[in-house]
Amino acid sequence: MLSYFIKRLLLFIPTLLVISLLAFGLNKCAPGDPVAQFLSLDEDSRTSNDYRRYRQAYQDMAKRLGLDKPVFYVQVGTAAFPDTFHRILQVDHRKSLTKLVGQYGCWPEIQHYYRGIQAAEVALLQQRSKQNDAYISTRTALLQLYVQYQDGPIQARLDTMSAVVARDSMLREGWGSHLAQLVSAYGSLKSQATPEQNRRPTIHWHGTNNQYHHWLAGILRGDWGKSYHDERPVFDKIKDALRWTLVINLLSIVLAYLIAIPIGVYSAVYAGSRFDRWGNFILLILYSLPGFWVAILLTIFFTNPQYGMDWFPSMGVGEPQAGDSWLTILQLRVSHLFLPVLAITYGSLAFVARQVRGSMAQALAQDYVRTARAKGLPERVVIWRHAFRNALFPLITLFAGILPATLAGSVVVEAIFNIPGMGLLTINSILNKDWPVVYAVLMMTAVLTVAGMLLSDLLYAWADPRVRLGGEQS
Amino acid sequence: MDIKNEEALENKRLGPLARLSRRAPTRWALRFFYALLFTAIFGDFIANDKPWVCQLEGQLRFPVGQELLVKAGLSRWPSNLANVSWRTLSYGWSIWPPIRYKAQSLDIQNSNFVGPLSEQRLEDWRFRHWLGSDRIGRDTAAGLVAGARVAVLVGLLAMAIAALIGLLLGSLAGFFGDQGLAISRARLAGGLLGLLAGIFYGFIARVYPLSTGPLLWELGQSLFWFLACVGVGVGVLGFVLGRLAWWRKPVVLPVDLLVMRLIEIIDAIPGLLLLLAVMAIVKEPSVWVVVAIIGLIGWIGIARFVRAELLRIRSMEYIDAARTIGLREFRILWRHALPNALGPVITSVAFGAAGAILLEAFLSFLGIGMPPDVVSWGSQIQAVRTNISAWWLAVFPGLAIFMTVAVLNILGEGLLERESR
Repeated sequence: MLSYFIKRLLLFIPTLLVISLLAFGLNKCAPGDPVAQFLSLDEDSRTSNDYRRYRQAYQDMAKRLGLDKPVFYVQVGTAAFPDTFHRILQVDHRKSLTKLVGQYGCWPEIQHYYRGIQAAEVALLQQRSKQNDAYISTRTALLQLYVQYQDGPIQARLDTMSAVVARDSMLREGWGSHLAQLVSAYGSLKSQATPEQNRRPTIHWHGTNNQYHHWLAGILRGDWGKSYHDERPVFDKIKDALRWTLVINLLSIVLAYLIAIPIGVYSAVYAGSRFDRWGNFILLILYSLPGFWVAILLTIFFTNPQYGMDWFPSMGVGEPQAGDSWLTILQLRVSHLFLPVLAITYGSLAFVARQVRGSMAQALAQDYVRTARAKGLPERVVIWRHAFRNALFPLITLFAGILPATLAGSVVVEAIFNIPGMGLLTINSILNKDWPVVYAVLMMTAVLTVAGMLLSDLLYAWADPRVRLGGEQS
Repeated sequence: MDIKNEEALENKRLGPLARLSRRAPTRWALRFFYALLFTAIFGDFIANDKPWVCQLEGQLRFPVGQELLVKAGLSRWPSNLANVSWRTLSYGWSIWPPIRYKAQSLDIQNSNFVGPLSEQRLEDWRFRHWLGSDRIGRDTAAGLVAGARVAVLVGLLAMAIAALIGLLLGSLAGFFGDQGLAISRARLAGGLLGLLAGIFYGFIARVYPLSTGPLLWELGQSLFWFLACVGVGVGVLGFVLGRLAWWRKPVVLPVDLLVMRLIEIIDAIPGLLLLLAVMAIVKEPSVWVVVAIIGLIGWIGIARFVRAELLRIRSMEYIDAARTIGLREFRILWRHALPNALGPVITSVAFGAAGAILLEAFLSFLGIGMPPDVVSWGSQIQAVRTNISAWWLAVFPGLAIFMTVAVLNILGEGLLERESR
């Protein structure tokens, strides 16, 4: 048994590693600029107009978040990119530079041009005293150069600046040389383009000091990063949310089993009866009812005085007052959780009942049931002791598999009933572009699912020695 | 894993509803399904703000038909009809579609949630919003018709993608197992090298065009280069290296193991969460992206079915017979084994389409991943969240989703039963 367990456990490690790569990769592809998002939470840098101070704060924050490190152990790219490309921290700059490299392929010239923009910006800031229209339009055009990558728009910005500088003698004196350098840098960038560099593959090895390594290590240590939205640790947010999700899911799974088992057993024993036929039909209907629709209908008709059936509170899980007795709290919770639990239960009820019926029908067809009947055991004993016990094994494994499925299913219900669980957390985080939370949730559900699979395999092996002794049948 | 799958398959076989489908429900389900297809295809003729046929200024016109031609670029509106409110024109005579609105057309007089039973401001009762309207005056019934098209598109296309991947991987895994597929070292090396080159020249080296050009066109080009690299790797390198004896030795590929691991990985992430996480990072959401992603994660059910079926088929006598007369393995797979495994595929496509439609409906309900101007059943229900007393916006589109899903499930059950007979 132990060796079987270890074998299964080892097989799950590569699965989890691939999933971690997927979650991390999606995280990296997500739109938005995490540094800017964090800085916008910071009162000081949001209110300050000083671009240089903002840029310094940006660099510091990026370093604090570990974004100055290479993304992965190994970097497969084109020869046009330097292996230090990740050191350009500003996300929007890096994007436009990537596109410039993709077009022209000559990194030294592109780097020269980029440094030219930076130098020109610093020099322009020193012209501060001459704040006027010319200064402002030059500065606007210059800053736009950071994010432009197509030839037309870049040329247009350069022309605008040249025109302004030509008219304004003060600007020409203090800053004309920088502009000239910038124009010539852009010219040489275009003339010395080596697009063929983009077709030569290169591989850089970055070692373990990379973002993925640190992220994974953090996940294993329980340090899941901070939310972009409110800077709370992701781990705490998920822990709080998981509580509610577990409460409503466990409640509804237990309820579903309690109701489904009698229905399934009864319709398997009296197969073909009217109860069986109608029960089947109703279960299929229940199974096909879209969860979010049912939840919406429940909120419309049972939480709204308009239809005279305002029996339940509509939102949230209730807020008990400090001095409430446990009875009041219980009442409050039950009234708030009744509809959500109902909305989750009916779907899994239908699923479980169908499974119970299937496996019970199989068990009833076995020889030992006939033997039990032949030796004159009462029908009740035959059904519950002989058939049902054997029909139970698939149901146990089903239980392990059903938890992750309902976790996903409760996304729907939580979103509609406003229950602060994992589902609502995920959706709100997606809408807020709070990616660390989204992908941590993804990772965690994956771990839970894999654990569920492992558990159901183990239960199966425990129940059926053929599995663990005979190895995998295929 | 294996035993569980077969168990599940067996359970579905003997499923409680197996007998049901011999009766009327399957027939009715099929009728509903045809009606849905009809609505999706001819939606423009069912809900439109223009008449089918009319006499206008002494001229016979077919505005709905002409609109389709204009959309296809084959015709042009005369200047006096280009931007006209068809409702207000005076006709000699006219025949209108049953629903006199488009999903997008705004009826300003009846905006702000007019219910089907409440009074509507109309000059003619035939323009009534039979199923009510939403906040900006869009007709619910017309929205249902447009939603049918989205649902059919998502259900059929996503499942087409899923079936393609599922058939390929499932049949390889089931038919060859872990020992059955052997290729020469030369081809393996060529294929792996080609794969790496394909990833590089298809995608990494094309980052710039992929990020700036028209996405589908560039993606198509990338796929072409990718496949070309793999093909050249296997074909040319495999052939050249294959002249040396050492490289000709066969390597056994554990296809089943690889495919099952892949299925396990996708299985480990709940589909809805994965879909949400992927849709969240898509820059330009559209129906096609939703379809593609649902298809790309929806193949595992089909692959499992095909695999289980081929596991059964490959040990049958006629396969041995085919082998004995010297047919090649791939020929046996494609011509003899796979056609007999297609039944379960259709069944799981029916179940899968139901799931895909549900997923899409929920996504549009949340407003994630679908452009706001696309009217679908899910996005219609979304309006209820802002106005809880607009029950018609929840009931009718919800009924449409429910009926469609139920019908697909009933059809799936019916097919299963026909299979097992």
